[in-house]
Amino acid sequence: MNMIIGVTLKGIFRDRVFQGILTAAVLFLAIPSVSTLSMRQVTELSITLSLSLVSFIMLLLAVFLGGTSIWRDIERRYTFSVLSLPLTRSSYLFGRFAGIAIFLLLTAAVLAVATVAVVFVVSGNYPPERPVAWGAIAAAVGFDALKYIFLVAFAVLFSSVSTSFFLPIFGTITIFLVGGATQQVYDYVHSQAGQALAPLVRQIATALYYVLPNFSAFDLKVNAIYALKLNFQGLVLTAGYFSVYTAIVLFVSAAIFSRREMK
Amino acid sequence: MKNLDLSVKQGEVFGFLGPNGAGKSTTIKILLGLITPSAGNAKIMGVDVSSHGARRSVGYLPENPAFYDYLTAEEYLEFVGKTFNLPDALLRESIEKVLKLLELWDARKRPMRGYSKGMVQRLGLAQVLLHDPEVYILDEPMSGLDPLGRAMVKDVIRELKLRGRTVFFSTHITSDVEAVCDRVGVIVDGCLQSVDSVDDLMIRGIEGYRVQVRDAVHGLEEQFTASNRQGDIVEFTVTSQDLKLLLEKVVLSGAEVVIVEPRRKDLESFFLDTVSRGRG
Repeated sequence: MNMIIGVTLKGIFRDRVFQGILTAAVLFLAIPSVSTLSMRQVTELSITLSLSLVSFIMLLLAVFLGGTSIWRDIERRYTFSVLSLPLTRSSYLFGRFAGIAIFLLLTAAVLAVATVAVVFVVSGNYPPERPVAWGAIAAAVGFDALKYIFLVAFAVLFSSVSTSFFLPIFGTITIFLVGGATQQVYDYVHSQAGQALAPLVRQIATALYYVLPNFSAFDLKVNAIYALKLNFQGLVLTAGYFSVYTAIVLFVSAAIFSRREMK
Repeated sequence: MKNLDLSVKQGEVFGFLGPNGAGKSTTIKILLGLITPSAGNAKIMGVDVSSHGARRSVGYLPENPAFYDYLTAEEYLEFVGKTFNLPDALLRESIEKVLKLLELWDARKRPMRGYSKGMVQRLGLAQVLLHDPEVYILDEPMSGLDPLGRAMVKDVIRELKLRGRTVFFSTHITSDVEAVCDRVGVIVDGCLQSVDSVDDLMIRGIEGYRVQVRDAVHGLEEQFTASNRQGDIVEFTVTSQDLKLLLEKVVLSGAEVVIVEPRRKDLESFFLDTVSRGRG
């Protein structure tokens, strides 16, 4: 599996599309100036913009790398030469996933440094009312990375069954949108206004809430922006949720991929 | 595939012949675990092909191979060698050896996306040879190669045979089989039509002989049909039954035998006959 991870990382670093996406990081340079548009909360805005940019870059990378990595191997017939080596299909699949996950973590680390640099400069010039919570900023980037690694697991699942890139790419985007909305839908269904819905609809929505991924728990932007205290127990629970759900998705992917005919 | 029952002996070079779409590549993909047969099983060196361990003793060259083109040849071979758990020192030595053998040493640091088709094919052969496996499964190994490359591949296969390695290769080019194989199997529409020794086929295919005689006496030309005459050399074409009689007469007449050469069906005729029989 380590060899597949190595090959995956080399492939990503040498890919022009990746290099193109990463140029979006140049936008960090504009954040200090743009943040001054806020008259009172310059530092808070710089944190918001930086974390949003980090999230956007990671989303592009997760969808692009997760959705095309395995599909491209099959499309270009690399799988014939790789899967005929003494490797199990699951180790190939896990290696591909792990390579992308490591890359996302590395990217998150680099982008976190850029975020810290931007916020440091801005907060030096426009001191905020509350001290900057550097730990919360780091946690926000870290949990954002976990969210996108989680999303890559779905991309791998779609790639394990699909013969084209449509399902891996658009399926992953759909999961991203659904995962971002599940908590809101659940909250609405269980609110006063939601009581007007038919009981069957509420039951289905509740069932889907437990089955579909929930990305809202990974969103720590508010804590980072307003220097709110992090709930350690909540973070551990989210990390556990990420580990178990990702493992399940990957094992299902491996089971499907192991049975797939490589014609 | 229908009822394919085939075994290849250790140390032999086996040619797997068939027209396009006959099932050659499908058979090979089953052997490599790339597709699963609906029934039956296959083993390599006694290990069922459903286990990835079966591929440990195999070097496989896919048809029209494609490798991670962002890697250099050296990096790709390193990747392959590590999957076979080759120790670092041996791996480095093997990489140098096979790259030089396949004339890719100078291109080893270049990404493969810049390689010609022939270079990729040769790299495919290099990755097959890298870990010196017991069994070689080559799907159309001469495809995309120029005459020099084809000769190189044939030399490599002959060398493997000398070292007691087992080679199973598919092709639709009969002359390749004739040049290097011990046995040949012909598959048509998913059914194995025949498995024969190449030497036996060559002997069975003899249809007669061409005999050149110097200073032939007049009686010979009356009794046997002379097909050609150049100066004092007369060429006769005789059946296998008449050969002995002709040679006796030549010896008795005091003439000199210059050449005795069998005239036979080549492997291509045998292949075409088998295919038309198979398609019935």
